[in-house]
Amino acid sequence: MTFYEEKIKEIKDSYFSNDKQIETVIGIKRHIDNHYETAINLDTLSQTEFVSKFHLLRLFKKYYGQTPRQYLIDKRIEKSKIFLTNGMSVTETCFAVGFESVGSFSTLFKTRIGKSPSIYQKEQFSRS
Amino acid sequence: MKVTLISIPVLDQEKALKFYTEKLGFIKKKDMPLEGGNRWITLVSKDAQDGPEILLEPAPLHFEPSKVFQDALMSAGIPWTQFDVDSVDTEYERLTKLGVEFSVKPSVMGTFKFAVFNDTVGNNMQIVEMI
Repeated sequence: MTFYEEKIKEIKDSYFSNDKQIETVIGIKRHIDNHYETAINLDTLSQTEFVSKFHLLRLFKKYYGQTPRQYLIDKRIEKSKIFLTNGMSVTETCFAVGFESVGSFSTLFKTRIGKSPSIYQKEQFSRS
Repeated sequence: MKVTLISIPVLDQEKALKFYTEKLGFIKKKDMPLEGGNRWITLVSKDAQDGPEILLEPAPLHFEPSKVFQDALMSAGIPWTQFDVDSVDTEYERLTKLGVEFSVKPSVMGTFKFAVFNDTVGNNMQIVEMI
């Protein structure tokens, strides 16, 4: 076993040993992956895994390093890039990934990607 | 400030270019000749061509401490860096068929799955998937 494998094992034993908690957060993450376009919030998430929302928030942050909300937004932006590249309009994309306002979607997209959704889309087209 | 470049030390730039493009599937973005037969070679991920570039840097050939550090990481099994994949299992299967050697087979650690392979130019590299 290499030094690296020994260290990984130590971390696993000390930090990732609570199977029940890990199973819960993986369930939450999968729920976000499969339902990112719906109105997801801490209340809906806590119902899917039958845990209190504050416990859920703490667990998710502990095992993924970000809040469920941050993860959900990353997921939506990632999906919107795919939809835009495939030719879906900005408005359709906005609603298809679960945002409720085109204005806030465009602003958020620009903050994350560095350019507006329409410019991003044009660049993808000119590339292919 | 923006993050645009991730430097990877390589023992042979041409060999590295072949491995990273032909086996791993990265796309060459820049290739400029520099002094002494060295090149400025950068690659991007096929799925994120706007994303950060990898620089295949011949540092271990020209700066001894770089070689010492690279060797130390290699023998300890520590990856130089890691790449995100959709499925560690799928990539493991695909790369194994292409002759890539893994020092750590797909393993789960809590909310992550990972594996470690040899990049043939002096480094261990990790692929990781969030589960």
